[in-house]
Amino acid sequence: MNAMIDDETLDRQLCEAAPYIDDDGFTDRVMANLPAVRREPQWLRAMIVLGLAFLGSGVAYVIGGGHVVREGITQLADFPIWLLLVFAFGCGLVVGAFAVIFAIRKTPEVRDLTRLDF
Amino acid sequence: MELTDADLIARVLADDDQHAFGELVRRHQSSVRGLLRQLTRTDMALADDLAQETFIRAYKNIRSFRGEARFSTWLYRIAYNCFREDARRRKELVGVDEDQWQAKQDPHTADPGLRHDLMHALSLLPLHERTAVVLCCQNGLSHDEAARVLDIPLGTVKTNVLRGREKLKHTLAAWAPN
Repeated sequence: MNAMIDDETLDRQLCEAAPYIDDDGFTDRVMANLPAVRREPQWLRAMIVLGLAFLGSGVAYVIGGGHVVREGITQLADFPIWLLLVFAFGCGLVVGAFAVIFAIRKTPEVRDLTRLDF
Repeated sequence: MELTDADLIARVLADDDQHAFGELVRRHQSSVRGLLRQLTRTDMALADDLAQETFIRAYKNIRSFRGEARFSTWLYRIAYNCFREDARRRKELVGVDEDQWQAKQDPHTADPGLRHDLMHALSLLPLHERTAVVLCCQNGLSHDEAARVLDIPLGTVKTNVLRGREKLKHTLAAWAPN
């Protein structure tokens, strides 16, 4: 009988005895059997948001008796043109900032970049 | 830049990104299938079926992965559970158990070559020792991680690894050419 090997040698030999198993289509078979992703279509979400916005506007108009909107437009017309331009520019900036944040959240490549450790 | 497992898991969680999950499968398929081949005693077809079931369960339950352990450790745990459930079903169906299988094996029928000797010697170990040796010695898990995978006390894992190693050494010493 031969002398027994030590733990380290045994562990190394065990690792060497277990070769890398080639994928050989295994991943494809798994992917083909994954349950389908259940997600409501994007257009449906957009329609719901748009519908709710119209509904909210309609309710506000009815509750306000209509004069609130007329008065608002009259007051806006009295504003100096430069103030309206600044207001429009500010609104554009806010909407643009939200769009950028949304794009970052939805784009995996960009999101991963923001998660880098320094 | 290669994405880490954590990055890929984050993509799966955020966007149900199946391509990211596919990359995780590609990375871990070898070790999971290797573990299951050891547990099923080189029954490759059964091991691959169980490995497939393991990854499908992992996908369905990925939200329960909290990142406290390595992703591979979590996968081993699922793989071991799949194997146990299957073994229980088979035992109920055909009444074959580990002891019967072991009694049929002749240690002298081992294939030539150290690798085959080693794998055959490993397959002769009782299930609890074989599993602990494969996880700790072959797949590099710590005793603590193996205890979590197998859901048994840390001391039991240490004992099983120790006994398994000793048996392997004895078997290999007896088989080794003079």
